[in-house]
Amino acid sequence: MDTLLALLTVFTQPQLLVLVGIGTFAGIYIGAIPGLSVTMAVSILISFTFSWDVYPAISLMVGIYMGGVYGGSRTAILLNIPGAPSAIATAMDGYPMAQKGEAGQAIGVTTVMSFFGGLIGILVLAIAAPFVSDFALTFQPRDYMLLAVLGILLVGSLSSGSLVKGIFAGAFGIAIGAVGRDPLTFTERFTFDLQIMEGGISFIAVMIGMFGVSEALLQLQNVTMKAVRQKIDKIVPSFGTIKKYLPLSLQTSTIGVIIGALPGTGGDIAALMAYDHAKRVTKNPQVPFGKGAMEGLVAPETANNAAVGGAFIPMMTLGIPGDAVTAIMIGALFIHGLNPGPMLMVDQPDMFWFIVGALLTANVFMLLFGLTGIRIFTKIVEMPRSIIIPLILLLSIVGAYAVNNSITDVYWMLGFGVFGYFMRHYGYPLGPVILGVILSRLLDDNWRRAIISERGDIGRFFEGVITSPLSLTLFVAVLMIFISQTPLWATVKKRLFRKAES
Amino acid sequence: MDTDFRGDRDHHDGTSDATPGGYPQKRRPGELGFAAFLSGASLFLLYSAYGISGFESLSAPGAVPMATTLVMAVTALLITLRTAQQQRVTSETLAKDILPGTVVMFIGFLTVFGVLLQPLGFVLTAALFLLVSIKVLARKSWVYTVGVTIASLAIIWLIFRVVFTVLLPAGILPEAEFIQLFRNLVSGAA
Repeated sequence: MDTLLALLTVFTQPQLLVLVGIGTFAGIYIGAIPGLSVTMAVSILISFTFSWDVYPAISLMVGIYMGGVYGGSRTAILLNIPGAPSAIATAMDGYPMAQKGEAGQAIGVTTVMSFFGGLIGILVLAIAAPFVSDFALTFQPRDYMLLAVLGILLVGSLSSGSLVKGIFAGAFGIAIGAVGRDPLTFTERFTFDLQIMEGGISFIAVMIGMFGVSEALLQLQNVTMKAVRQKIDKIVPSFGTIKKYLPLSLQTSTIGVIIGALPGTGGDIAALMAYDHAKRVTKNPQVPFGKGAMEGLVAPETANNAAVGGAFIPMMTLGIPGDAVTAIMIGALFIHGLNPGPMLMVDQPDMFWFIVGALLTANVFMLLFGLTGIRIFTKIVEMPRSIIIPLILLLSIVGAYAVNNSITDVYWMLGFGVFGYFMRHYGYPLGPVILGVILSRLLDDNWRRAIISERGDIGRFFEGVITSPLSLTLFVAVLMIFISQTPLWATVKKRLFRKAES
Repeated sequence: MDTDFRGDRDHHDGTSDATPGGYPQKRRPGELGFAAFLSGASLFLLYSAYGISGFESLSAPGAVPMATTLVMAVTALLITLRTAQQQRVTSETLAKDILPGTVVMFIGFLTVFGVLLQPLGFVLTAALFLLVSIKVLARKSWVYTVGVTIASLAIIWLIFRVVFTVLLPAGILPEAEFIQLFRNLVSGAA
């Protein structure tokens, strides 16, 4: 009964309902407007909702997240510009449909299928999270440490071409998180005897700099790019169409949830895998894939929205984010004094159920807004960049300043913004940096706890790792990622393939 | 599409992927310098991490910082080596593609914004910033620029100052009095 009440919190308080609605609405546009991203929006919003109560703040951010994942598909279909990496696969068949004048139909199906995928993802979250959280209570400190390392490494290796750059970015993030006085011994770390460094670097300044300022600076180079107009007609798809693609969407939703729940893999990979799956199982598509096949639209869109629910599983139960957006969501929970992890489910189950409820509501709003207001939509998306970019920069400064009312944070933000700008140019992924910053404390604490519990003996530490099946699995996974990058692996792979061929 | 290139032309980043540029097999102008800078900085941080508690014990406050900075230094050196072996992208220059004048100018604008924020107050600084940057980017008439600036600033101010109640430096404008007036108006109307 309590659970049900917590789940329905959103509905019992009209204010929260409105906030989820506003968030979802804003999210759809943020995801769709070229130049704005969900990561950017949520990191700036954390600082603005800082003084709010927890529930309203979370409502707004959940809405933005859910709406944003969906919003990316709009521009993918209309402009062949995926509003988010998770919509890359959507563009492959969505844009050809728009070219044929079927943009309305494409958007309609996408919306309904996104809703469907999102729903499955949330259901799985609601069912699986309590079990995962129970299981997580048996985790040793060393498991948390290994899991954190694994998460950072996975984000680093999957989000870009070069794993080495990903590892560097992750380590850099951990180092940023370590700046200031060590919470256990009060030893100064990386402060260089400067007083302003003692309190550490505000992770919000890092986030806004990396995802707001650096993105805006990069956009300065495409200021003159023009949006393309598209004619949109009938949107709401027929029941028959939905029924036809339901079996496929069930399969791809499952892929989405599973991929989303793995640390380091998010909606983008889920969508690509689902697209691939659809290609394999659809024997005789009406229209070939890549030319505007409906299956090629249904698969990635169900998967990336299902991945949202999936991504919340490790985030809420283990405190380990799957990607940059969930890392920022964790940051948001931190700011409001919540500590995502297995204890959250024990101490504050209401909070968990509230978030599930908010996600469900956001999903419904997404369906509602997705099928309406298409005319305003095309207008807003055409907003010139020469106005959007200055506004993003302005909001970034206000956001960085607002958390601590400190001008130092503004300079940190600018510094990280410029640094992130270069990182983007030279192919260093930014996701691992944020994951590193967020997980730095968890990693440091758990490493020290693990070592102290083994009385400082590294031999005993490894003995513990090897004798515990869970630790061993995690440890092997971490090792595998490293080995896959060494020349040794390349040789082994070559040999294996040669054997397979002969 | 190149499989290693996961961004789009718009350099979007909605989820974990924030890597827009970079070529898998070639180096862009300045990439080697950046890698070398990272290596130097990482080595310095490693030295600094050693200074925290040295090799005192594995659970000392300096243990994790030392491990991470060591990883940073090793990976940065590796990246530098790999980058040095790659061929330069011939079609790009540092001044045109990596750090064009507009970007440098905006970094300057933002720095000035930070300097002026507290003495001048948010409203004036933001107005100045929007005015100059929209003028520079849109290259349209002053009427357009001033109109857009005032409209967008009014929306932002209303949303953040009044709805989100974010504290922003008031500076030289009598902002508090104005808000009070505004609140009185609203409550009077309700």
